Parts: sequence; structure tokens; C-alpha cells
Amino acid sequence: MASLERTVTPSRFRYLIATIPALCGLFGAIIANIPISLLGGLVPAPLLALVPVYFWCLVRPDLMTPAVALLIGMAEDVLSGGPPGIWTLAFVLTYALVARQRDSFAGLAGLAAVLGFAAAAAFACAMAYFTVAAFAFLTPGARLPPVAPILGELAMTVLFYAPSALAVKWLHHKLVGASRGDV
Amino acid sequence: MANAWKIARKSNAQLPLVIVIALAVVLVLLGKAQIGLFDRARAHATDLMAPLLEKVRAPVAGFDRWIGSIGEIFSVYEQNLKLKEENARLRQWRNVAIVLQGRVGRYQALLHAVPDPQMNRVLARVIGRASRPFLQTMILDAGRGNKVLPGQAVMDARGMIGRVYLTGQRTSWVILLTDLNSRIPVTVAPRNVQAMMTGDNTANPVLNLVSHTVTLHAGDQVTSSGDGGLLPAGLPVGTVMPDGAGGWRVALLADAASSQDVEILNFSKPPEAPPATAQLPAEAAGLKPQAPPPPAAAAAPVAAPVKPKPAPVTPAAPASAEDVDR
Repeated sequence: MASLERTVTPSRFRYLIATIPALCGLFGAIIANIPISLLGGLVPAPLLALVPVYFWCLVRPDLMTPAVALLIGMAEDVLSGGPPGIWTLAFVLTYALVARQRDSFAGLAGLAAVLGFAAAAAFACAMAYFTVAAFAFLTPGARLPPVAPILGELAMTVLFYAPSALAVKWLHHKLVGASRGDV
Repeated sequence: MANAWKIARKSNAQLPLVIVIALAVVLVLLGKAQIGLFDRARAHATDLMAPLLEKVRAPVAGFDRWIGSIGEIFSVYEQNLKLKEENARLRQWRNVAIVLQGRVGRYQALLHAVPDPQMNRVLARVIGRASRPFLQTMILDAGRGNKVLPGQAVMDARGMIGRVYLTGQRTSWVILLTDLNSRIPVTVAPRNVQAMMTGDNTANPVLNLVSHTVTLHAGDQVTSSGDGGLLPAGLPVGTVMPDGAGGWRVALLADAASSQDVEILNFSKPPEAPPATAQLPAEAAGLKPQAPPPPAAAAAPVAAPVKPKPAPVTPAAPASAEDVDR
């Protein structure tokens, strides 16, 4: 019994490992928002922080909690320099969507998995756009934000999903692993 | 892929999802009302990242230039000829400008014209750029330590790029003229048409005319008008161009995507003291009010009405040195 307990119980770095999804999200927010433009600002930076939120919300929601999604969204807001709270709300709402449809999203494979993430990213971008548009609508004299930049951001996010998901999956398999109840 | 994802069914979230969504909504509203909280965090984060950004700036700028010049490789010869011709023409214009500048200076001295306010300039280097769906900005390596303050205009060698909107100790964020939140009052020469230039995240900001009865022409010069006292008047901005739908846009002179070194203009206009409320226009002009004719002795059976005492006439004396400094 004692030996079985040792094998099942995570290592002493359990708490450290439990922070990996949050750290990955924060790292994605930092990387995506380093203010360096390789292409002269022609294309917007992808929402790299959304990949860990989406992935671990599906496979380890005990580690990617709503509060962690909120924290990652706040980091995205602070570092991106946009209107405060926009991406925080978008990330949390996307988390809620993915959590409600977890079975549908997690059952996708191959290209369908990319499309599943694209749907979640489209939902996040739409929420961010509608929040900004609502404020613009309520502000006298303000114009509605153009749609093209947010579509560009969505396209870049989906384009970067495959390599980001590979890195996240590698981390998951090597360090995080499935939760105890599922093993 | 699905087989590899072992799904944890239980989520031991400390905060329920509804509460977190409510927190996010509160954050949006709080951010709208108290934007300073986020701004301080951003400025602090940028100050921390500044050394890294300065290190990677040179190779990134080189790569950026290399990428941008790929399309120009095959037109180098034609461009060289064109630049030589343009350079010769600009040299002629430079001589004309020097002569005219001297002449304007003499006229201003003769007319005792109010001189243009002196502007301090801070030369800063662009260490970062960000093009996000709701923000187009650049980050400079000068901040409050260099007396850079929010609202100051940022120029490159060709024209205005934007305004400083957030300053850290060593860095500052610039909101570009093309940004969705950028609005500056401008003047369109040669008829001095007043307009508001509004960014919409496209390369050419929209020109909203104050008066709808005036007509513009493509190529008219657009400069800052100085209205509101936030920006100095006369900063070159761009030229008017039609937008194809009956409106007008501005082709900016500056190229924010390629600018490497920029100037931050420290412009502070001294506040003008309002005239005294009891001061009549004639008194303000330095004219003495005429005393009313003395009333006849018979016509004053009772006490004479109290005449309000006119405010002392203050000739156009210069404000105190402290006011000027302000």
C-alpha cells in the first residue's frame, strides 16, 4: 500500500508542476507581446496565451482553473497595452465556453482539433471586439474599431496553434501528466 | 490527438466560474474608470523589459530593413536616379527656405510679433513596436527621467508620428496617429481649414472637417493647428488625399514603421490669465472710461446712486516671470 501510494502520489515538486499551465500562459503572453515587429507591423502578434488556456482547460481543468485564466488574461491586457480588461473578459468567457463543451472539443483530432481551437479563438476575438465596440458605441464621437485587425489576429493565432500546441503537449506529457483520477 | 488527451473530469477550482466572469466584467469597468492602475503596471513592465529590448533592437531592425528591401532590389538604379534628382530640387528649396526664414524673422521683429514658444527636444530611440487590433504603438527609450511627459508630440525627420500617452521612468509609449484612439486638431493649408484628424487603425487617418462648406484638394498640406494648447501649431503631419467615398484622409509624412530615432517635443504653453469680470472691452484695450457728467444740484434731492467703481485699468503689462514660466 505504501509503495503504491508512492507511485501514485506526485513528486515533491507537485506544487511547482501544478503551476506549469499558469506559467505557460504567462510566458505566452510575454512572448506574444514583446514589442518587436519583424515584419514592420504588417501582421499582428498571435494570442499565444490562449493556447495553454485552451489545452489545459480540456485536459487538466484542475490546474487551469477560471482564476488562472483570469490571471493570464490580465497579463495579456497589461502587456498588450490595449484597453484594460478586454482580453481578461475574453479569456474567461472562452474558458467558460470550452469548459461547457469539453467533451466536444476534447474529442477532436487532427485538422478538426485545429478547427476546434480556431472556434475558441474566434469566440475570444469576437468577445474582445464586441467589448471594445460597445465602449466605442457608448462614447460620443468614437468610431467602431475596424474588423480587419482582429481577423488578422485570429488568423495569426490559428496559424501559430500547431507549433504552440506541440510545445504545450510535450510539457504536459513530460512534466504535468494526467490527473490522478484519470490514470 | 484525442486519445492522448486524458480528460480530468473534476475541477477543484477555488473560484467558481460565475464569480470569475463577474470579476472580469468589474475589471473591464474599473479599467475604463481608473485606467491609471493598468498604465502604471504597463510602464513598470516596459521599464523592466527596456534593457532586453535595447539589446535585441539592432538585429531586429536589421532584419526588418532586409525584409523591407527585398522588393527594392530590382529598382535600385531607378531609385538612385530619382533620389539624385529629388536631392537637387530639395537643395534649391532649402536655400529658398533659409531666405524666407530670415525674412519672416525680420517681419516678426518689425511687427513686435509674439515669438513662437521655445520647445525643448528630447532625442529618443525606438526600442519597440506593437501592432495590436486595438492599439498601434511604439516604445521609446526616454521616460520621466528625461522629462518626457504624456501628451508631448513625437516627430521623426519627416513629420509627426504621434503623442506620448504613457511614461515610465526610462521608457514611454507613443500612441500613433493611425491608432483608433488618436484625435488631433489640424489645419489644412493654404486656406487654413480647421479639421480633426482621427485614426482608425489604417495607414491613412480620417479627416473630419469642422465646416462642411469648404472644399479640399488632394495634396493640400496638413499641419497641427495647436488648438487646445496640447500640441504646438505648425507641426507637419501629411497631405490630403481622397478616400474614394467622398471623404478625405491624410497621407502621413512620417513612416512610423521604419522610424528609428525620433524627437519628443516638450511643448508647454503658459496659461493665459482670464480678464477680470468687471473689465469692459474698452478698458481692456487701455482706453480710459469717460466720467459721466456731474449731476445738477437741483436734480439731487436724495442721495446720489452708488456708482460701481471701475476696475483699475491694467495696460498690457507682461505677466510675471513665474506666470511665464508656468
